[in-house]
Amino acid sequence: MASTKDAALARLLEHLSSAEPAAHPIKDYPTVRLSDPAEITKAAAFLKDELGFDYLEMITAVDWLGPMQLDGLAAARTAAHPFKETPLKADPPVTPAPGAGAAYRPVLDLLWSFGNLRENLKMFLRLEVPRDQAEVASLTALFPAADWQEREAFDLLGVRFLGHPNLTKILTTEDLAGHPLRKDYAHQKDRFDE
Amino acid sequence: MNKEALIVSEASMHTDTMFLNMGPQHPSTHGVLRLGLTVSGEVIAKAVPDVGYLHRGIEKLMETRTYNQGVVLADRLDYCSAMPNGLAICLAAEKLMAVTAPPRAQALRVLMCELNRIASHLIFMGTYGIDIGALTPFLYAFREREMILDLFEMCCGGRLTYNYMRLGGVSNDIDDNWIAKCREFLEFFKPRVDEYDTLLSFNPIFRSRTQDVGLISAQTAKAWGLSGPNLRGSGVNYDVRKSDPYCGYDRFDFNVPLGQTGSCWDRYYCRVQEMRQSVRIIEAALADIPAGEIMAKGLAKIPKPPAGEAYAHVEASRGDLGVFLASDGNAAPYRLHLRAPCFINLAVLQEILVGNKVADVVAILGSFDIVLGEVDR
Repeated sequence: MASTKDAALARLLEHLSSAEPAAHPIKDYPTVRLSDPAEITKAAAFLKDELGFDYLEMITAVDWLGPMQLDGLAAARTAAHPFKETPLKADPPVTPAPGAGAAYRPVLDLLWSFGNLRENLKMFLRLEVPRDQAEVASLTALFPAADWQEREAFDLLGVRFLGHPNLTKILTTEDLAGHPLRKDYAHQKDRFDE
Repeated sequence: MNKEALIVSEASMHTDTMFLNMGPQHPSTHGVLRLGLTVSGEVIAKAVPDVGYLHRGIEKLMETRTYNQGVVLADRLDYCSAMPNGLAICLAAEKLMAVTAPPRAQALRVLMCELNRIASHLIFMGTYGIDIGALTPFLYAFREREMILDLFEMCCGGRLTYNYMRLGGVSNDIDDNWIAKCREFLEFFKPRVDEYDTLLSFNPIFRSRTQDVGLISAQTAKAWGLSGPNLRGSGVNYDVRKSDPYCGYDRFDFNVPLGQTGSCWDRYYCRVQEMRQSVRIIEAALADIPAGEIMAKGLAKIPKPPAGEAYAHVEASRGDLGVFLASDGNAAPYRLHLRAPCFINLAVLQEILVGNKVADVVAILGSFDIVLGEVDR
């Protein structure tokens, strides 16, 4: 079991020029970090065709901008309701240990999870893209499962997946501007807030 | 009809596709799902599922709440089977904190999740029968489900949203009275599954409506990332309880029921058989509940997992429910992503509905057993 896992990891690293094992893997699964955004399609195709990872489990991202500011939502709430919602982060946020992979920086840390159901393996791919230019190739041609998950990441986090046949909002309403899961998203007041 | 009239009608006849809106307020969509169907006569030419009507931003809300408050929100995802939702979050946070729930808590987690799986599959069986036109099984299914809800109520006070899982354990213990009640339920329930087979599963009308309808090949199912009974109905043997065991599931002896053709009936029957397997797991768990604590020792009231990232997934009633957790060392998750099986299962509709009759849309949609609370989050 362990040997197939290591073998798959080694072959993937060998195939890609910009990949290396992540310094802080996602517990407790093998994690590979890419540094070249152009290689994601190559990595996914190799995983699928050569290593048997034909099951795309998950696509998501983390916005590492920094702790969430409660300005928008909490302020509106306090004005509307007699009770005051205590902001959880009133105490100064803990500065994350620099080594834990949780340092605040203006990037979106993308995440793909692939599964090999036959050999019972799982592999995570990571890739950092700048927040103001969050673009990456779509995997819809390789995995239909990427369709809705990429739309979700586009809707909630503002990642543009190039080559996606229908990259439109999926969960939020048509009139909502911005991407709610970005840390700098502020709640837009509507008629219910007054 | 004379020949002249026939020519006239053929010349003036023109065929066109029609747009048919189904939902979001439609009883057979099990919530607020909208399907934009383009039909050519009675045949679906294009299907566009439209989701998001129930989006509450649960992932965002969790970023301002403690982990144990997050469990409360997680109950509102898949509200037909709320136990495994909180469990997935707790498992991810426990990985970061390097905490393991005590053996008794793990046994209780398995017990509750399996009872919840039966309750959830009973809802499916009852409502799927109604979708197809069989009204009676619903009443039987809800009679049994009621007994499970009573057990939950006895244990933790909740009947739908339990808030039972805690970081490092569970909230309430069970006593001998509960165990006796649970055994009583199992004895009552075991012969009932065979009754469902005679009532619904092998009913010729039901079978003709569901067999060879909505076929999903194993390859399609994997490509679209289906999980749970929807994937296993297509014959793909993937069950998180077996492939990535948590809470000591590897201690239990149970089978993973598989379908053969990936038809609606296969997906349905996988769930019926899973109820039998869950009974086996519960019986084994009841026979050997370890004594001891139900919460891990030495945890803070408001736990702050150290900075880092973790992924944990569980076999929820509707599939592989995953939680990706990024922590920056604060009391609230920095980012928490839910791999919602219903959301991912639903995407395949746009492919497999095409070519089916309008009347089969309800049969196919029902066989996916979606809960919109989890689709939209």
